[in-house]
Amino acid sequence: MKSWIDSILTSKQRIALPIMTHPGIEAIGKTVKEAVSDGQVHYEAIQSVAEQFAMPACTSIMDLTVEAEAFGATINLPDNEVPTVTGRLVSDAASIAALEVPSLDKGRVSAYLLANKLAAENITGKPVFSGCIGPFSLAGRLYDMSEIMVGIYIEPDAINELLSKCTQFLIDYCRALKASGTQGVVMAEPAAGLLSNEDCQMYSSEYVKQIVEAVQDDNFTVILHNCGNTGHCTEAMLATGARALHFGNKIDMVQALNDCPSDVIVMGNLDPVGVFKMGTPDEVYVQTKALLEKTANYANFVISSGCDIPPHASNANIEAFFSAVKDYNNNM
Amino acid sequence: MNQELLLKLSECVEFGKINLASPYPPNMKGQPGADEYTKEALEAGAQPSEILDELVAAMGKVGQKFTENKIFVPQMLLSAKAMSAAMAHLKPFFASGAVQRKGTFIIGTVFGDLHDIGKNLVAMMVEGAGWEVIDLGIDVKIEKFVEAVQQHPGAALGISALLTTTMVNIQPVIEAVKAASPDTKIIVGGAPLSAEFAASIGADAYGKTPQDDIVWLDTLIA
Repeated sequence: MKSWIDSILTSKQRIALPIMTHPGIEAIGKTVKEAVSDGQVHYEAIQSVAEQFAMPACTSIMDLTVEAEAFGATINLPDNEVPTVTGRLVSDAASIAALEVPSLDKGRVSAYLLANKLAAENITGKPVFSGCIGPFSLAGRLYDMSEIMVGIYIEPDAINELLSKCTQFLIDYCRALKASGTQGVVMAEPAAGLLSNEDCQMYSSEYVKQIVEAVQDDNFTVILHNCGNTGHCTEAMLATGARALHFGNKIDMVQALNDCPSDVIVMGNLDPVGVFKMGTPDEVYVQTKALLEKTANYANFVISSGCDIPPHASNANIEAFFSAVKDYNNNM
Repeated sequence: MNQELLLKLSECVEFGKINLASPYPPNMKGQPGADEYTKEALEAGAQPSEILDELVAAMGKVGQKFTENKIFVPQMLLSAKAMSAAMAHLKPFFASGAVQRKGTFIIGTVFGDLHDIGKNLVAMMVEGAGWEVIDLGIDVKIEKFVEAVQQHPGAALGISALLTTTMVNIQPVIEAVKAASPDTKIIVGGAPLSAEFAASIGADAYGKTPQDDIVWLDTLIA
């Protein structure tokens, strides 16, 4: 969403966009399982967050399993925790070769498309960002995360074939998310942060770039999230061409800003657990103010959580975050 | 002859050359790996304890490089797999008591968490550092941790959590284990954790990297 990006770059106000849906799920009295399975419930959770906290934009659930499930992976779906992938769907070159790129009517994909469509239709006056997993993280969930780390060196051809299939699915999925009316997609690629910059470039960025080229335009922004980056693979993240990069709390935010050109939106990075969940409202307020002050000279910075804010982070803490931003803006 | 073989073995582990078939690292392609050199060294009369010492030293170098951000998870896993290939040949000597390990380390990922990459890394690195490792796997319930500790008195325990949603499940494990076995020392680790969090839930230590676990474990037997 170029207009949203331009508005950030030219705004004199600091913009805040934590990644969260759980406060919405909790507020409407539903379980995580219901929200990740039912598009209507998911939408209601998104809307609830938007209303509770007067969010400048909306994000959907950071569920890193819906895509793997579409491929046929087995999913563990607890009531009040985010789902996880179990087992290995593919384990060698032969099973990768036989793996079919799934259509978008598999698993819970349709529920996610519905949630995003409803959010885009009913939430007005602010962008709605959908979500998806990144290609390397998806491939890792199909092949086993430990094994793919070794596979890129032992069986690179097979892994590249797997990544190509993951990428094709993600292109189809992102096109559908775009068609649902959203203004962008937060692509979560946490596994890439465990790689060197060179490997991140080769096994993540080259594939993310294909997705970016397929869907990003003036009305649809790819926000690339990599919470494993400690500063070592920012260059690779930039190579994807995503107009916005979202960083986890392992990186120094000022370093990230210095490493990025000023026309790329840089988002992050308050600790979702240590600050948002475990901290007190006063601590959240102080930490938020401190980060805003540290990044005062960067017009392209959007303050956010370092990753998805976990279930049962207190509303008082989240309100403290927004209060700090509001107070900071009022004193500018 | 033995020294030459042991040096080659050490290099294979340090640089992640698992076996003859492995194409990595590129400059060792087509050469024997840790698997073959360990077998050859034993056949040539090298003592199993000598071999273990080489493995421990090599993995120590790997852990140090990781801590210094000179290598990343893939390289560390490859070295750990090379070490595991070598260790497979030494298992009969552990079983017979011919080679002594430093102690026992039980590790598992907390209930609700099915991520294993961090746990696997720690398990392999700790084993490479000379410890017997009992890997309980993923999604481990409290009673299984307690049972394992009771079955292996004197063992240290490692608890891993890779999700912000499941790290809260660590504290009940610690409480139950400490209640059943007050002397058990517990280290916790995982991406969302911190030293402050570890202390707040009653853990004895926090391991940010696998090397942290190894250093801490060695303090228990110093």
